Amino acid sequence: MASHRRRFVIGLAVAALLAAYAGAALLHGAQKAERRARAARQAVVTLSALTDLVDRAGGATAAVPATPSEGGMGLGAEIAAAEQGQAKPAGDAGDAVRRAVARFAASHPEIKAIRVVDFEGIQLTASTAAADTGDKAAPRRLEREEKDLYDLGQKLRAAVQGNREGAEGAARQPEISIAQQPNGTWSLAAPVERGGEVVGMVQMDTAVKEEPVAFGWLPFLAAWLAPVVGFLLLSLAVGERRWLLAAVAALALLVDLWAYGQYSVKVLAGERRASAKTVAAHISDETATFQTTQTTPAPDPSRWDVDELRQPLARNPQTRNAADARRVTRALAALGVLGVALLAFVGFGFAYRTGQALVEYRVAYAYALPAMIGMLVLVFFPFFYGLALSFTNSNLFNTAKPITETWVGVQNYTDILSDFAITKRTAEGRVWNYSNFYYTLIFTIVWTVSNVAIGVSLGLILALILNLKGFALRPLYRVLLILPWATPNYITSLIFKGMFHQQFGIINQIIQLFGGHPVAWFDKTLTSFLVMLTTNGWLSFPFMMVISLGALQSIPSDLYEAARVDGASRWQQFTSITLPSLRPALVPAIILSVIWTFNQFNVAYLVSAGQPGGSTEILITQSYKIAFEQYRYGYAAAYSAIIFLILFAYGTWQNRVTGATEALG
Amino acid sequence: MSSNRSRRGDEPVHWPLHLFVIFILILTIYPILWVLAIAFSGSQSLAIADLPAHATALDRLRAIAPWPKHFSAENFRSVFADQPFARWLLNSVVVAAMTTLLGVFLACTSAYAFSRFRFPARRAGLMAFLVSQMFPGTLMLIPLYIIIVKWLGLGSTFTGLVLIYTVTAIPFCVWMMKGYFDTIPKELEESALIDGASQATIFFRIVLPLAKPAVAVTALFSFMTAWNEFIQAATLMDRVDKYTVPVGLRFFVGGFTQQWGYFAAGSIVAAIPVMALFLFLQKYLVSGLTAGAVKG
Repeated sequence: MASHRRRFVIGLAVAALLAAYAGAALLHGAQKAERRARAARQAVVTLSALTDLVDRAGGATAAVPATPSEGGMGLGAEIAAAEQGQAKPAGDAGDAVRRAVARFAASHPEIKAIRVVDFEGIQLTASTAAADTGDKAAPRRLEREEKDLYDLGQKLRAAVQGNREGAEGAARQPEISIAQQPNGTWSLAAPVERGGEVVGMVQMDTAVKEEPVAFGWLPFLAAWLAPVVGFLLLSLAVGERRWLLAAVAALALLVDLWAYGQYSVKVLAGERRASAKTVAAHISDETATFQTTQTTPAPDPSRWDVDELRQPLARNPQTRNAADARRVTRALAALGVLGVALLAFVGFGFAYRTGQALVEYRVAYAYALPAMIGMLVLVFFPFFYGLALSFTNSNLFNTAKPITETWVGVQNYTDILSDFAITKRTAEGRVWNYSNFYYTLIFTIVWTVSNVAIGVSLGLILALILNLKGFALRPLYRVLLILPWATPNYITSLIFKGMFHQQFGIINQIIQLFGGHPVAWFDKTLTSFLVMLTTNGWLSFPFMMVISLGALQSIPSDLYEAARVDGASRWQQFTSITLPSLRPALVPAIILSVIWTFNQFNVAYLVSAGQPGGSTEILITQSYKIAFEQYRYGYAAAYSAIIFLILFAYGTWQNRVTGATEALG
Repeated sequence: MSSNRSRRGDEPVHWPLHLFVIFILILTIYPILWVLAIAFSGSQSLAIADLPAHATALDRLRAIAPWPKHFSAENFRSVFADQPFARWLLNSVVVAAMTTLLGVFLACTSAYAFSRFRFPARRAGLMAFLVSQMFPGTLMLIPLYIIIVKWLGLGSTFTGLVLIYTVTAIPFCVWMMKGYFDTIPKELEESALIDGASQATIFFRIVLPLAKPAVAVTALFSFMTAWNEFIQAATLMDRVDKYTVPVGLRFFVGGFTQQWGYFAAGSIVAAIPVMALFLFLQKYLVSGLTAGAVKG
């Protein structure tokens, strides 16, 4: 019975199929992206040439007549006619631009429309769009419907200025806009500068043909079947030795992936070379066309092949290929780990046993699974995804990138945990550094301990009073005292925020009634903390009271009778009967309460909102702000993961301590 | 009367304790009365009464008494007529109702399996429900935001919120339902099985009707989870017409707007139903919260 061998063959076949398919799909995607980038680069080169042309033509004053050369590529007769009738001097520059644009359009059949916008006077200086003829022909003012065009130009202008003045390391805005329209044409736009100022914009609609790329079925099949066949042959020699079979199968899979990785790197390098060649050819074409249209001053084609920030694209093929190789290695390493895990799962018979169990207990699983799947998808997957995120520098701008590119290892954790700058030096001397993790941690611990202390003591005292025999109005007191627990805590938080308002809040009215001065509660850390404490104390004591009351009522009264017979004092009865009986109910309630308070988002977020200056943030609100105000998702995830670890350690420790003391007692 | 006298004999005097309890009671009730006073004051002001320039002690006392100068239902009328509060209320009702339906269905079926069947990974499954309660909200918030908004495209939709609320409520509901199912004798089902009833018939016709009280509590817990939730809704709903009540109420008094009258009226409308339900059901919730912990 060749069962081990058969399982490993099946396992390898499945693992290799998935790994090879994923690898092929990634390669296909990368190829498509490169072809797309190539098409975009070509379009940008055309746009840059056009911008240079407009710049030269528009920059020419009336004193320097344009020197058009006759017989340029595809010159229309109407352009020649326009040249003859050089009209009013004021329109000279505009006319030159229009002529240049018309020629450029004539020599580029793929371009559907060119529009030149002059910001001064919101002018449409030139247009070859089909709609802009007759009474709508350029030059004219932009119309209301063309506001998008104007806004686009202003966006580019703002981007150019922002990038020029922007601080080192600040996020840069694209200076060239590239948008793909639904009908397949691309719309590109670039700013026109004069004397360092952005004075206009050139926009063109052009048909861009992306070269299609075929999915590599043959390499995929080879990558899938080669290791399976190889393993089949080798396994004949290995026989039924399980671990050896596993090792050989894993090796086959990894060698296969390595080979596919080499192949991918080669393919991508080929794509890069093709891109470089195509773009270079395109630049020389454009240069030739340019010179037939406008001879002086000579164009600068070295500045045409640029990215969206108008920075020359990296020319060094070595660095690009090395970057490709790194990406491929990372992706395939991840696939390798997954593949080997799958291989082991099938090969060691776990898959078979899982399948059997699923069939045997299908009724039970049918009932249990819907909820479990929901939990898996929306609780456990996000949890582990969050953990993975904590090892990346993911932020608002790179969420679309694969995780392999944003991976930074444990850097977030070391950044958070190794920053001991709890205080910082400012003009006023040493002050607390409120954004420091340890400051917030200490604040959160103080917050939790004081809250739980208040909640437990107040709850316990009230429970003891309400448990007195013959205490009048007990049920009424009980119902009224539970009300804070019943109030949704976001409403409570907002109510307290209002009551502690500096000018109109009721608390300051009361202080003034007794002759005091109104307090600006949220201007000092201490008072702000007191307001939070009051709010949380208000909403949390009823829980402790109800729990304690329940536990007190379950103490059999004959215990007290016996104690009284033995002559125990009231205090002795309390310490030796009441408190020990409360323990089993109070300990879990305190654990729960510590966890709730530690993560009491609503009170910290809605009451003080961290005021003043973030000094009253607790860990959970701090991580929320990092995520949703600074958009540093990876850093915030690491922050949250640390919160989880703290609580987890606390829970484990508490469990052990209380469990141990119970065992002793 | 005789019992009264005997009590007076060996019990200490209660009135200082009454004073203490009444003092706490005033602190407890005052914020609630304050909201009521603002809501019925007919104005948007935080203050119950305006103070004159040179306020006397009497004026100040008047300003803190939770009794509006003029009773007016204007805030209630206006919050519905002039503000999108009715819309938010409807949103909250829809989300909470869908959460309740889905949550109860999933919790009942799952709890039934954990209570009645013995199968591989049963313990692991039950533990998974418990452990999930420890995951911090913000660690989940970012991935959930990415999954719901960026991957599934469910930003600003009720579906996204309902899915999140349901899985939030499920663990507690499963543990509570399982505890209840455990108390229903198995003999009933066995005899039905002998009579030839199918597993589904037994579940829907016999077990669920017997577990009605627990189903009711589960339903209310799910409902309240969805009704009172703030952070997820604030993160996922970025269109005013899709706000739920908690996000909407914050909208009245957060940031630069200070419409306390609308806030107070809206709070009362939103809180009264859940407060009534809570008071009615709190003893079940307490036993559900503590049962697992005490046993463990």
